[in-house]
Amino acid sequence: MTRADPEYGHLAPLLERYSSLEPDHPDREPLREELVRGFLPVAQHIARRFSNRGEPLDDLVQVATVGLINAIDRYSPERGSDFFSFAVPTITGEVRRHFRDLGWSMRVPRRLKDLHVSINGAVSELSQNLGRAPKPSEIAEQLGVPVADVLEGLEASEAYRSSSLDEMLSSEQGSATVGELVGEADAELDRVDFRLALRPVLSELAERERTIVLLRFFGNMTQTQIADRVGISQMHVSRLLAQTLDRLRTRLDPETRVS
Amino acid sequence: MSDLDGSSPAETLDGASTVEVRTSASAALIPTIRAVASDLAARADFDLDAISDLRMAVDEACATLVDVAAPSSTLQCTFLVRSERIEVHAQVRAGHPDAVVSTDTFGWRVLQTLADDVAVHHEPGSGGDGPTVGIRLDKRSGDLPR
Amino acid sequence: MAEPAPLGSESPASEAAGDFLEAAMTRPRADAAVLAVQGEVDTLTATLFADAVAELMDAPETTLVVDLTGVKFLASSGLAVLIQAAHRAEERNARLRLVVTTRAVRRPLEITGIDQLFDMHSDVHDAIGGDD
Repeated sequence: MTRADPEYGHLAPLLERYSSLEPDHPDREPLREELVRGFLPVAQHIARRFSNRGEPLDDLVQVATVGLINAIDRYSPERGSDFFSFAVPTITGEVRRHFRDLGWSMRVPRRLKDLHVSINGAVSELSQNLGRAPKPSEIAEQLGVPVADVLEGLEASEAYRSSSLDEMLSSEQGSATVGELVGEADAELDRVDFRLALRPVLSELAERERTIVLLRFFGNMTQTQIADRVGISQMHVSRLLAQTLDRLRTRLDPETRVS
Repeated sequence: MSDLDGSSPAETLDGASTVEVRTSASAALIPTIRAVASDLAARADFDLDAISDLRMAVDEACATLVDVAAPSSTLQCTFLVRSERIEVHAQVRAGHPDAVVSTDTFGWRVLQTLADDVAVHHEPGSGGDGPTVGIRLDKRSGDLPR
Repeated sequence: MAEPAPLGSESPASEAAGDFLEAAMTRPRADAAVLAVQGEVDTLTATLFADAVAELMDAPETTLVVDLTGVKFLASSGLAVLIQAAHRAEERNARLRLVVTTRAVRRPLEITGIDQLFDMHSDVHDAIGGDD
């Protein structure tokens, strides 16, 4: 972004002023709001990039906006770099973290996981036989599945980036990434839009339980952090989370299942 | 994907499918373009190494162009998908009248290695606009001896 | 867009700008330092990658490993960082060890011949294992 930028150029001096103000300066709050409003299209754009993963766009925009606020707060113009080159990774990071914390990989259909494993096997075998990398059509023929499935599988293994399918597939790492609880529930829940299903259950919970679930799945917190925050033991947190997931499982309506 | 200009590829006279992607000339949007490149190559049944090469070549070309692009200009990337190869034209309007894509960089050498054929073109600007700078690259689906 | 972000110019191996590119250094053995990198190394993140690798190359340990298992994309800007690191290792009379498991990393290294500059391994245990 430069001052010549027609869309965002006028925000550059505001950013400079914002970062120069003391934390308790009365102008900071209104200025921040103006900056957030001004840069909102950037957050919206990034949120849209993740909108094909089954999360409501509104929620993603909200998360991206949190990232944008962090970027505005932490940006310092005197380092001489462009705001966008700082903000875009910050916002993207926030959205990715959101997916990771949701344990969103649970929603990867089992079929796709299996396919991923078969594709990897077929690729190794074919590479050896052919003496070069195989084509999608060759992989499909080897596995006896439609090319479209192979494309889907390849796309999945590319698109799942840092919280990757591979991580989840190797059992010991998978549970460490998504959390022991989620690891257990995984088999049950992998076809379910987790968030959709969780909502009604959440509304039935007592306030403390609801707080715990929210902190675990929608905040950035580990069980230990939640325990500290709520003032109960980590074991207790673990039990309450397990109970909630149990409830979730028994409540699962066939209609909430997506194929 | 909001950056795609036309979701269904159009056919050109010589039977190539055309996909055009237009973004702000910003490094932050290159991941989107290279995702399109891999997807097209996979659908055109490129071998997995060739898919990886095309993705990287497109990234390299776009990064090079974004470097010289005028502020708040557009990066235009056209993919011509043929049966055995994909041709890519990427171009931007440069920020300086004498902007050039330098071909003696490490990045350019990598690009030459990745693509089967690669070339730069410069067109002088008109009416106060900066010159247009573009990179054309060609990638075969694999298999053939390079 | 001007320069790549100064992400992590203060603490390259820390959280800096979230997990767009993550780099974490560990010392699994007294004489080995491992830099594990996750994400995409491209023109946006190359500076962060360069900083993290520079920190590794300054480490006093004799065995230096860059674990690229979690890297989903590696552009020429990332290759340049690795070449530089290989030269730094050479100055220390060592060879940098890379852990490479994916095509997204292996292919760029191989097609450019840059893999020749490193000891390539397919897992971290293997990389910090054997003497060289």
